[in-house]
Amino acid sequence: MSAPRERLRRVCVVGGGQVGVIAAVALRRALPDCQVIVIGTPADPGAYADRAPTALPFTNRFHEQLGIDEQAIVARAGGSHRLLARYLGWGGPGSVGAMAYGAQLDAQWRTRFAREWGGGSRNAAGTDPAAGAGSLAEVLANAGRFAVPPGDRATPLDMVEHGLRWNSPAYRDLLITAAAARQVVHIPGIVASAERDGEGGLASITVPGQGAIEADLFIDCNGPAGSLIALVAGDEWEDWHSYLPVRHLFHARPGQPLLALEDRCTLLPQGWLAALAGRDGLQLTLGFGDKVTEAEARTALPGQPEALVEIVQGCRPNSWVGNVVALGDAAAWFEPLGHLNLDLAHRQLAALLDLLPGREIEPLERAEYNRRTLLMAHGARDVLALHYATPAARAVFGEMPLPGSVAHTLDQFTRRGRVPFHEEAPFAGAEQTALLLALGYSSGSSPQASGNEPREAAAARREFDQRASAALAFAPPYRDFITGGAAASSSIAADLQY
Amino acid sequence: MGEARTRQRVVVLGGGTAGWMTAAGLASLLPHLCTVDLIESEDIGIVGVGEATLPHIRGFVEKLGIDEAAFMKATHATFKLGIDFRDFGSIGTSYIHPFGSFGEEVAGIGFHHYWLEMQRQGRAADLGEYSLAVCAARANRFAPPAQDSSLASTYGYAYQFDATLFGPFMREFGCGKGVRRHEGLVVEVERDPASGDVTALVLKDGRRIEGDLFIDCSGFRSLLLGQTLGEEWEDWTHWLPCDRAAAMPCTHQTADIRPYTTATAMPAGWRWQIPLQHRMGNGYVFSSAHLSEDAACEALVAAAEGTPLADPRILKFRPGRRKRSWSHNVIGVGLASGFLEPLESTSIYLAQMAITYLIELFPDGAAIDPRDRDEFNRLVDMEYDRVRDFLILHYHATTRDDSDFWNHVRTMQVPDSLAAKLELWRRTGRIEKYSDGLFYDASWIAVYVGQGLLPKGHDGRAALPDPAKLATALDRLRQEIGTHVSAMPNHVAYLKAERGRLAPVDAGVAA
Repeated sequence: MSAPRERLRRVCVVGGGQVGVIAAVALRRALPDCQVIVIGTPADPGAYADRAPTALPFTNRFHEQLGIDEQAIVARAGGSHRLLARYLGWGGPGSVGAMAYGAQLDAQWRTRFAREWGGGSRNAAGTDPAAGAGSLAEVLANAGRFAVPPGDRATPLDMVEHGLRWNSPAYRDLLITAAAARQVVHIPGIVASAERDGEGGLASITVPGQGAIEADLFIDCNGPAGSLIALVAGDEWEDWHSYLPVRHLFHARPGQPLLALEDRCTLLPQGWLAALAGRDGLQLTLGFGDKVTEAEARTALPGQPEALVEIVQGCRPNSWVGNVVALGDAAAWFEPLGHLNLDLAHRQLAALLDLLPGREIEPLERAEYNRRTLLMAHGARDVLALHYATPAARAVFGEMPLPGSVAHTLDQFTRRGRVPFHEEAPFAGAEQTALLLALGYSSGSSPQASGNEPREAAAARREFDQRASAALAFAPPYRDFITGGAAASSSIAADLQY
Repeated sequence: MGEARTRQRVVVLGGGTAGWMTAAGLASLLPHLCTVDLIESEDIGIVGVGEATLPHIRGFVEKLGIDEAAFMKATHATFKLGIDFRDFGSIGTSYIHPFGSFGEEVAGIGFHHYWLEMQRQGRAADLGEYSLAVCAARANRFAPPAQDSSLASTYGYAYQFDATLFGPFMREFGCGKGVRRHEGLVVEVERDPASGDVTALVLKDGRRIEGDLFIDCSGFRSLLLGQTLGEEWEDWTHWLPCDRAAAMPCTHQTADIRPYTTATAMPAGWRWQIPLQHRMGNGYVFSSAHLSEDAACEALVAAAEGTPLADPRILKFRPGRRKRSWSHNVIGVGLASGFLEPLESTSIYLAQMAITYLIELFPDGAAIDPRDRDEFNRLVDMEYDRVRDFLILHYHATTRDDSDFWNHVRTMQVPDSLAAKLELWRRTGRIEKYSDGLFYDASWIAVYVGQGLLPKGHDGRAALPDPAKLATALDRLRQEIGTHVSAMPNHVAYLKAERGRLAPVDAGVAA
């Protein structure tokens, strides 16, 4: 007879940034009879998950599960929507590509049976005859029209997915309100010392003025330093330095508020320049390698430099050791190209909720968590490495070796037009295909596509055009949607383009 | 003929199920890339195992543009919602592994954790009661699933058909798509002395069939992959000791036709009952180390529920797979590349899977790229290994100690990959998560719970809700399923409603 495992009685989250607070909210929600404490150590300036002003579509679903209202983020944390990542120069001088989100699932995978039973080729994310037709997201972004579908009825926008942007401090405040409403205990201060538990984990931590705080589980959301996990895991670190050339990031002081449905990433001779639109200001970031001096980088950054961050990219091979789990930057620290940082933190947190231990931690459960989350981290690393494998990027950053999985994907895509499936990858096959095309890789033709292409492509094109007209007719100007029809605030740039 | 030269000349060796599926698939889906010649011999029988299929066969049939009703009529097919496993965990127990799931996850926690909690409190019905596919199967009812996210989309279906008719059906279809058929016995395999690639097959009457790519569908003989190229065989007999099957058809004993396959554990293996439109397929899969062929045939005849329509015949096999299924310019599909016993009806799936990957990775130039060969082998190995572990589970998760066979499989050392999964389940009620290959959570849970292997502990969060409310919710789900099932037509009635699905009356549905 199976018995319910004794639930965690107290969890201590170290790190009061947006990763730590959402972890606390999620844990309280999962365990209403568990005390959750957040030790509010300040976020590190280079904590890209903890300070992320945006995430990917997974986060929208995760927010919904946690009862965090997207409308509240829009209303109170400067929330806005990105339908598209535009890539300039990655495919060579003057090249422009666009990556939209959304797996555009094949109808046969939509039923619950298909999702829950599996089997057969999941590698069929090859060249879609409609790939040349672009995406609904691109049509909408170009027209500056979008509204979040109401959800209670079918609309032409249902298949369009977005990444949400926000003002990070305001978003964190919103999460803190949610945490307070769930009686999460907040203790300001820093961890001064820790007591081991004799089983490879921690018994308690000490915060000056608070004494020793015992817990069943400790969550390290302490930023790249990962000072808590380091106590039990030591300096175990998987270095990504040979795969990813960026060593420094310059952040400019936020510019003019900007309402746009796309964000941009441009390959420059000095490095990459990312532009993130936002209702409270355009954010520019320059990532560069060690071939470029700080002075050279400064000239490539439009706007006033505000911060310079030195980064050592990599991840912890085991992000859960003993009873200490590292989340976000403490588990994997990497450049914010493609906005994967918080996406990874949220997916790892979701895996923790999935495999939530009892008071007694089962080593195999921990091993399963570490297996899955390492695959997730590698998935993020691989997406980044794809960027640096383009000929244009190699000219800027130099030649880098490719992780085996990336070489495999690139080989299969460029020769055969297929994207091999990888467990726990951040993007679905169709998204991965869109990214590869946006970066300027050309797809090999898949054996099946070459047979019946012309007729099917024409039919797909017609079908797409119809869907695009319907979407454009349904979607209001984005500006009207975001201001709720009220007179536009004059502080937001009228120009939807950069 | 300029165009023809750019196409790969594919030669398929073997006219069994795998051979004709491959030939028909390639001729139909890649006519611009290849020509297909198939060599078969009337002197060589086909194994014809795999009368029961998995839902994926539907995708194959559909992709080829074959009409389902015509296909069912030609193969005397019935619908299949799952497999009823009897006496596996212990004698007297039974559970259905459905083409579907159980319940729904709530608050991010799998349904089975709630079920385990309610079961502990004595408030849960049999796990199968919370599966629409199981309930419909038990009630002998069938209707096609919905294509949305509702309760009616929680299951899939496959077919139970006559494998000796499926091959010829695919033959007719393939020949219509331009497959050239050669009748004859291969007596010599010609190879390029430099590369070792196969260049031509020479038939007994002297005909020479040249090709660029050779598909070995010669069954267990594995004439090209095994005998000619010497690809090493990885033997799995120590985990899956069954190496024989005695097969015999009999008449239907009742008017009802089960929309599911029955697998009943026997002292030295297990016995299948696969209901077709016109007869019942029976077989005893056994370990020759534990039972003689004669004794197996006797046991099969004694157990058959209808009147035997033929004498039992014996099939021999070996579980395992080639270290590489694609070597040089030879690709093994079906038994020539690997074999896993039909306990979960995976034979045709495994052939279909290899064909699908071959189509995705079909050589696009004159030469085969070794990277495509490696990718094919990686995918095929992954599929085989996952199915293998799942099959071993059926034997290992048992308390049976009534025969040497069951004592062996109960106490044997299982592969490390399975041992870890088992231990994770035992301690936490959790399933390792993956999204590639076959058999996800629902399948593992069906077998674990069905065979009486309950975990020691389950997710503590399942004990959070008020037990009375949880019990009510479970009852509501059962009722909803019950209502849905009672509105479904009877399986035979559904088959009869569309005459196009039925084989001629003399061989048709028992009235």
